[in-house]
Amino acid sequence: MLEIRQLAFRYAGEHSSPMYFDLKVEPGEVLSLIGPSGSGKSTLLALIAGFLAPGSGRILLDDEGIEKLPVASRPVSIVFQQHNLFPHLDVFTNVALGINTSLRLAPQQVSEANAAIARLGLGGLQLRKPGELSGGQRQRVALARALVRRRKILLLDEAFAALGPALRAELIELVKNLVDECKMVAMLVSHQPRDALIASARTAFICNGKVAAVEPTLTLLEQSELPEVRDYLGAP
Amino acid sequence: MLGLIILAPLISLVNLSGLPGYESGDLQFWHSRYIRRVLWFSLWQASLSTLLSVLPAILVARAFALQPSFPMRALLLRLFALPLVVPAVVAVMGVVSVYGSDGWVSLGGSLYGLNGILLAHVFFNLPLAVRLLLPQWQTIPEHHWQLGEQLGMSAWQRWRLLEWPALREALPGIMLLVFMLCLTSFAVVLTLGGGPKSTTLEVAIYQSLRFDFNPARAVVLALLQLLVCMLVAIATLKLQRLPEVEIALNSGARMNRIMHNPLNVALILVAAVYVGLPLLSMLVDAFTGPVVQVIASHYLWLAIGKTLLIGLSTALLSVCAGWFLLQYNASLAHAGQTGRAKLVDLAGSIVYVVPPLVIGTGIFVLLSSRVDVFKWVYPIVIIINALMGLPFVIRSLGATLRQNYARYDYLCQSLGLQGWNRFRYLEWPLSRRSLGLAAALVAALAMGDLGVIALFGTPETATLPLVIYQQLGAYRIPDATVTALVLLCLCLGVFWLLERGIGGKPDA
Repeated sequence: MLEIRQLAFRYAGEHSSPMYFDLKVEPGEVLSLIGPSGSGKSTLLALIAGFLAPGSGRILLDDEGIEKLPVASRPVSIVFQQHNLFPHLDVFTNVALGINTSLRLAPQQVSEANAAIARLGLGGLQLRKPGELSGGQRQRVALARALVRRRKILLLDEAFAALGPALRAELIELVKNLVDECKMVAMLVSHQPRDALIASARTAFICNGKVAAVEPTLTLLEQSELPEVRDYLGAP
Repeated sequence: MLGLIILAPLISLVNLSGLPGYESGDLQFWHSRYIRRVLWFSLWQASLSTLLSVLPAILVARAFALQPSFPMRALLLRLFALPLVVPAVVAVMGVVSVYGSDGWVSLGGSLYGLNGILLAHVFFNLPLAVRLLLPQWQTIPEHHWQLGEQLGMSAWQRWRLLEWPALREALPGIMLLVFMLCLTSFAVVLTLGGGPKSTTLEVAIYQSLRFDFNPARAVVLALLQLLVCMLVAIATLKLQRLPEVEIALNSGARMNRIMHNPLNVALILVAAVYVGLPLLSMLVDAFTGPVVQVIASHYLWLAIGKTLLIGLSTALLSVCAGWFLLQYNASLAHAGQTGRAKLVDLAGSIVYVVPPLVIGTGIFVLLSSRVDVFKWVYPIVIIINALMGLPFVIRSLGATLRQNYARYDYLCQSLGLQGWNRFRYLEWPLSRRSLGLAAALVAALAMGDLGVIALFGTPETATLPLVIYQQLGAYRIPDATVTALVLLCLCLGVFWLLERGIGGKPDA
């Protein structure tokens, strides 16, 4: 289980306001994060990944604190909306970087990378450059890399936002299967309420640097009493 | 307008190729050992200067890029922009003052020749290369740094997988630009080299015309210089690689990446000392030199007046020509006539390939049999320098004007905003900053120019750079140092006035 406990952060600068997060995610769960722009969704992911250092508070994975670990040692993989792949490297190399950044792979690691590529439906595209792939294929490559990294926490920072509805649904199903198989803990930041419905049993609403509510997705989207949620979603 | 810009170099070229028949021994020069040696030295010093400038510049630019905040970073970056405005003769005085026989870091007598030329070329081109390379690091998406961190890349792997690919795109172009600048550098080679062992094509052209009065040899040398420059330009076009990047939507720059490394700061400081020391040393030498005698000289004030006249007229001419060229170009491109628009673009950039001394030779040879060229110094110098400034105007102003055209032309048409009102309400406020920068750069370049004025100038029509050269030639180095300081102040002052005067306040 991933537990964010009283995690405090504040951006440098006079006009920034403090943020303060409390949250729990179960193994095998894909928790959706929704909320207005600038509310702190991506900041929370950056704190978990270690790109930002919290002022205080704890990040616990199975009761072990990871908030002090250097970025590379954290049990975290992240997929962004764009710039996930290195444009001058082919698909295989981009995935293989997840195993070993020196790119010296043992034979069984090569087959592991190939298996992940095939698992994401990219078999045969190993030698393509990212520029020759569609947007959906690029995100699949990024997911394949997350798969070979075998880290417990998977963070999806608007990873599918640039894709069409059908493709988004397809990739979300894929992620759900992977998370379930590997007993990962996943968090999905999205601007589409429909994504949250497909992806998550529970959804967290982030507002003004706080977790304002964590509820079953349908309840949050349709019956929430919070005025902030109603404002964010718009008329009924 | 357009005709003038294409014609000036063309006339000279046509004229050059028509000439060799009229002197004796013409084509023999191709086989001359002198010309072979000059050609060899030109290429050799340019290659060495390029390597010595660009390779350290990669390290320094990397240090700047990976050290996004440390005290005086902005100030040091500004110091690295300074050599763009410092006239070559002034830099030469600085180099002499540091590395000359009485200097702080004396190299003894060996300063004159290849050593001195390399020291001066690196002084100019290392900072230039740093400024050109630095933006390449900004093309690396913030997400890539974060992924590199998450994947656990070492510094070496980050360099190989993130930084080098971003750099690779720009490096050939930057190296060829520096190579071209060193190949056509005139003042540095004239003052620090110049002997038979260390003469470049550019200086040999000048010597053939002004000392040996051998126009045929000058023409052969000029054609050779033109050929080499064209080869470099073609190579630049061939090597320009299209970037393989996804289009960035967000810069994500708010994530701050801190990789403090004292080595990087040390590297930057060493480079800053290399760039700053010649200027500082020259300043000290000038203030302890014969300031009063030099300032009191009537001759100096005449030279100041001429320098200002040439600088300001050149800026005016160059900016006006560039403005109309770009407007014409933008309207053609907008009307879908891309072919003709490209032609106009080409006319502007052709000046890159034709060094000033080559145009100068053309005009010299063309006019000298008909009129007394020395009476027409100012118009000739102003026109050639304005042509030389055109690429800077086009680079500084082109993007702004094209953008304005693409964004607001339909709006202007629908509002009926045109002519003077369109200029007053749309183009002036939106482009005055680029306009000011272009005018300031061209004025500073023209005021510091030694090449064209050396070709056409006489003691009566000397500008400050030529005065410095004359003082150097007479071994009056202290006088030359003081004059160099005057020229430096004048250039910086005019640059500042034009940039602020035309461009307005920085945050306007």
